[in-house]
Amino acid sequence: MKDRYEDENLHWIPVLITLVILLPFVIQGLTYSYKYYLFVLNIAGIYIILTVGLDLLSGYTGLISLGHAAFLAIGAYSSAILVDQFGIPFFLSMIISPLIAGLFGLVFGFPALRITGMYLGLTTMGFGFIVKRLIIALREWTHGAGGLDVSYPVIFGYTIRTDWDNYYLIYFFAVLAIVAGRRIGKSKIGRAFMAIRDSEQAAEASSVNLAKYKMLAFFISGLFAGFAGVLFAHTNHFISTDHFDMLLSIYFIIMVLVGGVSSIYGAVLGTLFIVLLDNLFVPLLEDWIHVFFNTETGDIQSLIFGLVMFLFIIFQPMGLYGMWLKMRIYWKLFPFNPRKRFT
Amino acid sequence: MKKMTGLLISILLLLTACGKQAPAPGVTDTEILIGNIQDLSGPMKELGAVLPAGSNLYFRHVNEQGGVHGRQIKMIVEDHQYNPQKAVTSAKKLIEKDQVFCLYHVIGTSPCEALRPLLAETGTPLIAPATQSGTMSDMSRPASDLIFHTDTGYDKQTRILVDHILSEDANAKIGVIYQDDDYGENVLKGAAEVEQATGTSIQKEAYQRGATDFAGQVGNLIKGGVNHVIIAGVVKEPIIVMKTAAAMGFSPQFYGTSPTMDHRVALAAGPAGEGFIAANFANLWNSDAPGAVEYRELCAKYEVPEAYMGMYHFYGFITAKVLVEGLERAGKNPTRKRLVNGLETLNKWDSGAFPPITYSSSDHAGTESVVLVQVKEGVQTVISDWVD
Amino acid sequence: MTELITGLLQESISGIALGCIYALIALGFTLIYKATEVVNFAQGELMMVGAYVNFFFVTTFISSAGEPTLWTFIVALAGSIIFALAFGWLLDLIINRPMKDEPIFSIIMATISLSIILRALVAIIAGPMSLLPISPFGEGVFSFGGIVISILDTFIIGSAVILVILFYYFFNKTRWGVAMQATSEDPIAAQLMGIPVNRVNSLVWIFSALVATISGILLAPKLSLLDTTMGFLGLKAFPAAVLGGFGSIAGAIVGGVIMGVIETISIGTLSFHYVWIKEINDIIVWIVLIAVLMIKPDGLFGVEKVKKV
Repeated sequence: MKDRYEDENLHWIPVLITLVILLPFVIQGLTYSYKYYLFVLNIAGIYIILTVGLDLLSGYTGLISLGHAAFLAIGAYSSAILVDQFGIPFFLSMIISPLIAGLFGLVFGFPALRITGMYLGLTTMGFGFIVKRLIIALREWTHGAGGLDVSYPVIFGYTIRTDWDNYYLIYFFAVLAIVAGRRIGKSKIGRAFMAIRDSEQAAEASSVNLAKYKMLAFFISGLFAGFAGVLFAHTNHFISTDHFDMLLSIYFIIMVLVGGVSSIYGAVLGTLFIVLLDNLFVPLLEDWIHVFFNTETGDIQSLIFGLVMFLFIIFQPMGLYGMWLKMRIYWKLFPFNPRKRFT
Repeated sequence: MKKMTGLLISILLLLTACGKQAPAPGVTDTEILIGNIQDLSGPMKELGAVLPAGSNLYFRHVNEQGGVHGRQIKMIVEDHQYNPQKAVTSAKKLIEKDQVFCLYHVIGTSPCEALRPLLAETGTPLIAPATQSGTMSDMSRPASDLIFHTDTGYDKQTRILVDHILSEDANAKIGVIYQDDDYGENVLKGAAEVEQATGTSIQKEAYQRGATDFAGQVGNLIKGGVNHVIIAGVVKEPIIVMKTAAAMGFSPQFYGTSPTMDHRVALAAGPAGEGFIAANFANLWNSDAPGAVEYRELCAKYEVPEAYMGMYHFYGFITAKVLVEGLERAGKNPTRKRLVNGLETLNKWDSGAFPPITYSSSDHAGTESVVLVQVKEGVQTVISDWVD
Repeated sequence: MTELITGLLQESISGIALGCIYALIALGFTLIYKATEVVNFAQGELMMVGAYVNFFFVTTFISSAGEPTLWTFIVALAGSIIFALAFGWLLDLIINRPMKDEPIFSIIMATISLSIILRALVAIIAGPMSLLPISPFGEGVFSFGGIVISILDTFIIGSAVILVILFYYFFNKTRWGVAMQATSEDPIAAQLMGIPVNRVNSLVWIFSALVATISGILLAPKLSLLDTTMGFLGLKAFPAAVLGGFGSIAGAIVGGVIMGVIETISIGTLSFHYVWIKEINDIIVWIVLIAVLMIKPDGLFGVEKVKKV
């Protein structure tokens, strides 16, 4: 069912993504609050790297992870400790820290050999709590629950300091991650992943090594998330266990699902959608509401966010990507479209 | 496609709608813009409603008197849901889009800590962060020259409480029930310091945020033969602990750190909460301190609903006084630098509610002492002067 | 030695009471999962709504009839139950019906957003201030041999046991119960056999809202203050539901009680004797859960599904 997406030549999706990402160049001359947009976009970029990896795991392979913020935390804390306390150069830490997260991925993935479905989701959620505890217990390096200051990263003598520096750094790797994710998805590995998702028994019968590929999926996913963690730590300059709570993991899964499962572009679009909705549109919309209604409770923001999500899922269960597909087919068949398809 | 284009255009419009560079950010001839980030829809949202209301009460009063150097104070409140990442995003919005003059009364330890890099980068001061964590006035951390803490830290509160217990009863066996996060860590830091200084040993029992059952911790305190218990919780925890202890026939003297000062502790704990002593970093809102009297007068004048009146509303009120004093001292043409310099001239300044506040370029802790408040026949009564 | 045993007994009793709360929430998860394979992330929020509604009824009756009597609470309970029935029916209508043929995960997402909406709505309607729940159980305790249990806890344990027995009986012995089981096994076949699948699903959501409301009413006085964060307790009940095996009614109570007892004993006696246990107090339930799932991947009482190509 999902492969159908690839057959459609959907060049509009990458164009839209590029537009959103390049928007700061356009608006920086128009308004000085572009910095706020840029900042939100940087967060989205970091999350994109993570959700591409999560899509390979949950979308392609069908292994649900409700503890992905833990990988982000592992990458972030590893890099912060390696760079600031062991004096390892930042670009080396960009290789080592994701590998550490990837190794944790293997640990996370181990139960997946026996546990499936929602049970696996809950197991990974448990791992999320365990990692948080582990970080607090290693307080000699991590300063416990109080959080850790992180230095500004230096690449080849250049200190990355401003929002624009962060933007180039993050989106260089985000684009790399998208390309890599699509390559993996189309390769032999990706096809094995999808075979496992569609039917473990059928995959096994077609000589797909289940254990190997499941572990591989967790490892790759851990790599991506760990890398996102490195960027997270060094562009945020402060990390604490509160940054990586369980709700964030659930948000990640929502991002992948909103975009449409098992399409890398879908995951990217979903991430942009949720991050911009939550951090940009809803606060701005709320400012606007306050002009007209003098409300005292702050729950309007949550309510708007929840309602948008809810209506979106009810009317677009296939995700943003599915919405695009429908529209494309609509115009292709216009004016002979069967009505039922577009309700 | 059309929808998406529409969205893009609306982003553009929204972002361009708000731009006109002012000389000093947030300051015009008639107005000073202040940014506040509260938890409006997360676990502490109760405070998110009450704290800014208290601040606004004082701002309204000041504005009606003509404002600060002729400028009206206006406060924008954002929501961070007690999430440090969202706190930074909100601060970015306030600083870059709304162009606030300074941040004020941001709630929560980890949200405030997460703001440090942004504060340092933009040079935005943060006045009176709404957390009693002692780490806020740690001068070795980034942006510490821009953060002005008004409250006595949890570590100092713990030390003061233990000293108080030992002065009453030299052979006291002390136990602490603490929340297992950054709050608890700060409490434990104070406990470790006082253990080293006095040679007593304190029994420590942890609980998790959101815990509903304390039978295990109370049982351990009974086994440890403890007769003085410090509860480093928020509002629910002291109530449940004291009720559980009463049910199990365990009746030590209970103490609490400043967040347990809420009047509902006495209300909900009933007879089990009788005699509970809490440390507070400021005078009681219903006491005779001049700040409290002024507060009650203004509450009556502006018809504040009764549900809002209480320690947290008052807390918002008195920190607003500190901010306004800083703005006064920043002079007729305030800049962020002048605000910092102005606050650093405060020397044993009496706000009428806080202990005397002193800032200098090497010390932004503000206050070092607490007042002890005991529940007597269901009513909170001040039983001490400033203790430090 | 006797001190150790009394301590352990006391912790077990408290743990069972705590576990029965988890069990009540887990029972809500189980009912929906059993019939539709949907994990309802809003279960904790349903409980919170129930607690608020009951609070509303109690305060309304008190303000109109004066001093609270036993009847006040019984009438409020009846009102809350009627509300729960309507609420469950409505949820089925807005979540389950429109998404019937969609992937399970989309429905789970819908429940996540429902939880966000419910928390925000309740806060907007009830105001941001926490409420002081009024309980008919008072502060009374039963005490025997140095071990105490509060009247409230006895009621919680009693209700959990009664509800589990009732639902167990319902699912295994009644026509509707068997129809529900059939629906969960294979909805299409069930439909063909003449089972009104829609009505069965609707019934499941109603039951789940009912259980949530009852647990909310019982839990509110235990929390001492009522606010919307009560909904997060639903997440704490997850490991209990999974341990027992999602979809098993007996598993809900066994899983709940095991988790409750482990939690209390590890915070109590174990932490007292081994300090390092304190580091893992809040994850011990998850460690136990993962260990059990590694041995029994479908939980203690879960039924292994035979997979076909």
